[in-house]
Amino acid sequence: MQPDPIGAPRGRLKVIGKRLARVDAKERVTGQAIYPADLSLPGMVYAKILRSPLAHARIRGIDTRRAQAMQGVLAVVTAADFPVVPVGSTIPMGETGYDMWMVAAINMARDKVLWVGQPVAAVAAVDVHTAAAALALIAVEYEPLEPVLGILAAMAPEAPVLHEHVVTKGIEPRPRSPSNVCSRVVISRGDAPAARAQAHAKAHVRVAVDTAHQGYLEPQVAVAQVDANGFATVWASTQGQFTAELMIARMLGLPASKLKVVPLEIGGGFGGKIAIHGEAIAVRLAQKCRRPVKLVLTREEVLQGGSGPAAGALIDIAVAAQKDGGLVAIEGTYRMDAGGLPGMSPSLLMQASAALYQCPNLNLEGFDVVTNKPRTEAYRGPGGIQAAFAVEQAIDMLCQRLGMDPLEFRKRNASVTGSLMPIGTPFPSIGLDTILEAVGGHPCWTDALGQGAYPRGRGLALGYWRGTSMTSAAHITIAGDGRPMVTMGAVDLSGTRSTMAQVVAEEFGLAIEDVHVQTGDSKSVGYSDGAAGSRVARTMTAALVEACADALRQLRSRAAEKLQSAAELLHYADGVFRAPQPGAAAISLAELMQATLTDGAVVGRGVSSKLPLGVEIGAHVCDVEVDTESGLVTVLRYTAFQDVGLALNPTAVEGQIEGSVVQGLGWALLEGFDYGADGRLRNASLLDYRMPTALDVPRIDTVIVETPVPNVPYGVRGVGEVPIVPPAAAAANAIARAVGVRVCHMPMTPERVLAAIRAARGGRS
Amino acid sequence: MKTLLSCTINAEEHTVLVDPRDTLLELLRERIGLTGSKEGCGNGNCGTCTVLLDGAVVNACLVLALEVAGREVVTIEGVACAGELHPIQSALIETGGTQCGFCTPGIVLAAKALLDVNSAPSEDEIRQAIAGNLCRCTGYGKIVDAIATAATRMRGD
Repeated sequence: MQPDPIGAPRGRLKVIGKRLARVDAKERVTGQAIYPADLSLPGMVYAKILRSPLAHARIRGIDTRRAQAMQGVLAVVTAADFPVVPVGSTIPMGETGYDMWMVAAINMARDKVLWVGQPVAAVAAVDVHTAAAALALIAVEYEPLEPVLGILAAMAPEAPVLHEHVVTKGIEPRPRSPSNVCSRVVISRGDAPAARAQAHAKAHVRVAVDTAHQGYLEPQVAVAQVDANGFATVWASTQGQFTAELMIARMLGLPASKLKVVPLEIGGGFGGKIAIHGEAIAVRLAQKCRRPVKLVLTREEVLQGGSGPAAGALIDIAVAAQKDGGLVAIEGTYRMDAGGLPGMSPSLLMQASAALYQCPNLNLEGFDVVTNKPRTEAYRGPGGIQAAFAVEQAIDMLCQRLGMDPLEFRKRNASVTGSLMPIGTPFPSIGLDTILEAVGGHPCWTDALGQGAYPRGRGLALGYWRGTSMTSAAHITIAGDGRPMVTMGAVDLSGTRSTMAQVVAEEFGLAIEDVHVQTGDSKSVGYSDGAAGSRVARTMTAALVEACADALRQLRSRAAEKLQSAAELLHYADGVFRAPQPGAAAISLAELMQATLTDGAVVGRGVSSKLPLGVEIGAHVCDVEVDTESGLVTVLRYTAFQDVGLALNPTAVEGQIEGSVVQGLGWALLEGFDYGADGRLRNASLLDYRMPTALDVPRIDTVIVETPVPNVPYGVRGVGEVPIVPPAAAAANAIARAVGVRVCHMPMTPERVLAAIRAARGGRS
Repeated sequence: MKTLLSCTINAEEHTVLVDPRDTLLELLRERIGLTGSKEGCGNGNCGTCTVLLDGAVVNACLVLALEVAGREVVTIEGVACAGELHPIQSALIETGGTQCGFCTPGIVLAAKALLDVNSAPSEDEIRQAIAGNLCRCTGYGKIVDAIATAATRMRGD
């Protein structure tokens, strides 16, 4: 077990902050937890998607007649079965909305295919074998176009253009010709080039990051049923039932009131299940064949263009410092590989790369670039790991040039509460200085590295993630036995039902066993944004604190009537209302509800919107040993320090951090998409796309620091995203200190490490 | 041409009509309705469909249904005994060794197969035993802790 959190006094708290088991753990360990692929409905048929074999081509025609005539085939759909979703269409989400044109295109190509694996048609048949056979009978006539795969190749003026309507945004005057550079973003303050020119020490690094996948173990799945009135129900593996509903409705041209999305257990999402991937197709097929339709993607489909991986990048960072170690400039150029459709804004990762240092001069320029690869989607702190891999290596090189301890450098330059964030607003309460103090006093930093068969090194890297808040809703009814029954609008991605049961138990003064929490479908609870941006635990806590107060207010007035006392004089604790006089009458929630159930329902409502951000900050220390014969990097020890505001459940928080770190180490050392010149992914299986196994990683140690966020119930911060940010940089810095070379290409596979070592030795092996 | 097949699943006799193309995983999930075993890849690379076939760990997606005729299969649904959780299951709950839960059934069976033959495994032996089971949520530490805890309890130390 990991040590308890350092920080917030929690003497008053009885349930929050305790290491309690997940309320849904028993179903999980016995195989009873229901994921959408486990559903079977009477008369259900099976769908399969036909996908583009080409990375870039115009669709001249699709002939589905032979497939439609095949015995056992019940329906076939192509783009012609869906209304056109024009460029610029959005659905509501957060401040900017979500690009619906993009969502429509990742679900069904129209006129043009932009990557291998993009859907072009789909079939429903009596069984999967028949559906698969029918796909082979669909004739698609393609006019092949030259694919553009590399970021720099796509940015070149002579590159074939993917989208005729895309003109680079953020350049004045507005360019006239279309480009694969979809947008340019600049974050600037002071005069970075001048500051760098005058600085005592400088460092520059260029890093390349291969596209990687979120790697959720459960492939995308949807089961769709349409009733006699045309009302559709979709059981889905989604990060947001409301977002999915809006997307499906928009893609089908169906009013959202004619559709319900039921989220079941989700076998991992990590950002990759925000958008829909086939749900609308399943509904359209179900409408056409009047039978329930099940669509389950294969792993190959998930990897080969059927779902969005995480963006690759090419980043240059230059940093400069004065002799005393004061950081004076960060300059950066960030080129994000969005895949086949625009929309990977580099803004968040640009902010992430400069937020943690008090640096007077910034000059950051980012580009969103399209290539003929799957449209990338969010992955846990999207962009953070790429940014940190660049900036934290540059800082480490700067420390080496200054002859300064990397921890001392960070202490000297760390952002503190009130420091200006890159976007110009001051940081709310943050605990980076506390984290850095904790690192300095921890054995992971003070212990000697020890001798091994090969050189060893220790790396330090910081990580920042802004997160988001958006909106969450929940309601609480009080059961006839007086127990709170909670329905929340967020799906349970990371143990939300358990931590929210803790929050409600705390607010009611009850045991966690007395609280029942369920995730509502999109027609049984109020609108909530999806589970993304480390927002759910914080905002749902706020919604539930409000809902609990609302329910308790209603209960109090009933209790006042029963106890014949003024409501405001009643004392409430641990599930019992008491009249004020010593020895006076009392009534428990159970007695109260039994006595008043037929007076009408008690429903407590809570909505959270625009909650202050709960920025996430972490510092990671990584020890590695580098086999100089093979290039294999072994992670010997890994410690993650993180400020979580307040740990609702330390075991759950550790679980988020440990898993997130291992995903980061996977991308750092093992995982990268390998594309052939034709744009086909060559490692589209979990054997060839190597995610870490239990043998690839050490135990991840965690140190939880607690600096509560002001004006947020219980001071909770986001947790799950930032731990994936530092690992690649921490490992790279450890490798550099072990063998004296920088491996500037993620993943840092043995081949790349060995090549870097050999290059440094002047080609001698 | 469908074939009638008899086998024992979780100590219960089953006679089922199968398609010769069906895998053991399809037999379990689609024909019998035991959906605790999951399909994460269909290629034997992820371990989410791990079951025991005559006591040995197999990926159910790589075994043809017809191969299990007359043999004995244990799935996640057969691990708890009369509602009493196996020590591995209780320990996974206590340590937080299950998150999204999709890998959990396979992990439980891989761990059970280990503890059935090795009552005091080292950490390395535990990691070896679950090396064929990918987990994307936990980073493995809490799973390893759970299996070690279960081993200790089963030995009665």
